[in-house]
Amino acid sequence: QMLRLIHTTTAVQRKNVGASGPEKYTEAFIKKQIEEFNLGKRHLANMMGEDPETFTQEDIDRSIAYLFPSGLFDKRARPMMKHPTEIFPEQRKIQWREDGRPFHFLFYTGKQSYYSLMHETYENLLNAQKYQDQLIAQDLPFQKEKSNLAGSRWLTKIELEEMLLEKLSDDDYSRFIQLLEKLMALPCSDIEEKYIEKFSKEVPVQMQKVVIEPLQHDERGVAFSTGEGTRKTARAMAVVYDNGSGKMTVNGTDILHYFPVLQDREQLLFPFQFLDRIGKHDMVCTVSGGGRSAQAGAIRLACARALRSFVTEKEVEFMRQAGLLTVDPRVKERKKPGQEGARRKFTWKKR
Amino acid sequence: RLVQVRWSRYNPSFLEPEVNKELYQKPREELTEEEREQMELKAVRPIKAAPPTLSSSVFSDPMISKFTNMMMKDGNKVLARSLMTQTLEAIKRKQVEKYHKAPENEKEAIECNPYVIFHQALKNCQPIIGLSNITKGGKTYQVPVPLKDNRKRFLAMKWLITECRENKHRRTLMPEKLSQELLLAFNNEGPIIKKKHVLHKMAEANRAYAHFRWW
Repeated sequence: QMLRLIHTTTAVQRKNVGASGPEKYTEAFIKKQIEEFNLGKRHLANMMGEDPETFTQEDIDRSIAYLFPSGLFDKRARPMMKHPTEIFPEQRKIQWREDGRPFHFLFYTGKQSYYSLMHETYENLLNAQKYQDQLIAQDLPFQKEKSNLAGSRWLTKIELEEMLLEKLSDDDYSRFIQLLEKLMALPCSDIEEKYIEKFSKEVPVQMQKVVIEPLQHDERGVAFSTGEGTRKTARAMAVVYDNGSGKMTVNGTDILHYFPVLQDREQLLFPFQFLDRIGKHDMVCTVSGGGRSAQAGAIRLACARALRSFVTEKEVEFMRQAGLLTVDPRVKERKKPGQEGARRKFTWKKR
Repeated sequence: RLVQVRWSRYNPSFLEPEVNKELYQKPREELTEEEREQMELKAVRPIKAAPPTLSSSVFSDPMISKFTNMMMKDGNKVLARSLMTQTLEAIKRKQVEKYHKAPENEKEAIECNPYVIFHQALKNCQPIIGLSNITKGGKTYQVPVPLKDNRKRFLAMKWLITECRENKHRRTLMPEKLSQELLLAFNNEGPIIKKKHVLHKMAEANRAYAHFRWW
């Protein structure tokens, strides 16, 4: 086995993610590993004093953590004992006969399962188009009703790779998704529906429900609610009182003194202005960390979260769609070695 | 379809936020088909956080913020914003002066709103057609090419800023010069409009190479 220097660019390498090398683990090897695992499981059960027949994977994990305690941070570096199918990745059996002739007709493309999948999808697309033509000929409604966008998503690239047991490039994956979307846009008969279902997954809608806290009342009977917000390194905690006159205090000082820049004050007033409640609420907040713009953004988020308790659900949805309730994930990108900054490279010198 | 944007901190499924209050207060029946689909999509997908320059108040204008960002040097947004406000104030002052000096019948024709003047001046400065370098057979030709909206806006703003930075007397300040240029552009006069006409003439002159464009 000779290592050859192939001169390609990174873009070309990413596009041509072809077949992996020859089989890494033979079938006999994996069978032996499974036998050893089962034997080891029984030995472990005997050691721990438990019943070998009813020793589950959780028990194994518990016992290994007890017998080999490890303080390593990375879970994958700690000692583990799992079934060989979880440790050794699934791989395809040998795809050619003894005389060297491959089984699949697309073997020499390098990505046989991907191309055969594309062929199948395209066949389904053509069938769906014929079906649509039939519907038009019979004067039936041929536009598809909009199905739910909420509950389903396509398989991710990693899941597709696991399904096909083959490496894919980003380009291939996006092409496949494009085809699937095209197929979904046409009215399909049952066969195509079932085919599409194989590649879509349910997204639990539950995770979008956020609990809105009810209003609290302080000693004077004034309703108030709290909210927390972060932006870059700034942390803010805001308390919004009802029946107020629009006074805003930050860390004990008025906003006019704390934020001399107009843009920051605009950001503070943004949630109130969006809900048309400018003169109706008082606000007291504490903020620390970050710079001037980060603190303003943190307080804005805290106010928006506090205002959710005062407002109807529909308006909460409007606030979310205006981008007031999402935490801004942008932070300063780290500087990389070999470069002057996060993106800027050193001056290129020809010699 | 989800395309990975190069190194954006957000997941590609996040959508842009919509700040305009009126859109949310419209009842469902008035929306068109596309808007209804958009609304349904927004109800399901997560949405990006609104940037600090964007706000639902009457005073925030996307064009003005874009222009301030282009005028900004070394990240000094405070200075750029103050220059912008001073420019708008200067425009207002000049227009109000003109208004009070003008005779009765012309008073209605004078536009006093600086935002309207800004938008109209930018619209007047936008070129319709641009030139692009295409190399064919060893020689580079300037081929006339239709421009996209974003590109037109960018060119208009860029010309304005370069004009104000270079062609002025050492002592004149930026707001004064900018207000001058904006008023001239509003009336379709001035060096930037001339530059636009020169570009159009060049495009007309190179009409012969228009078939080199393949997009």
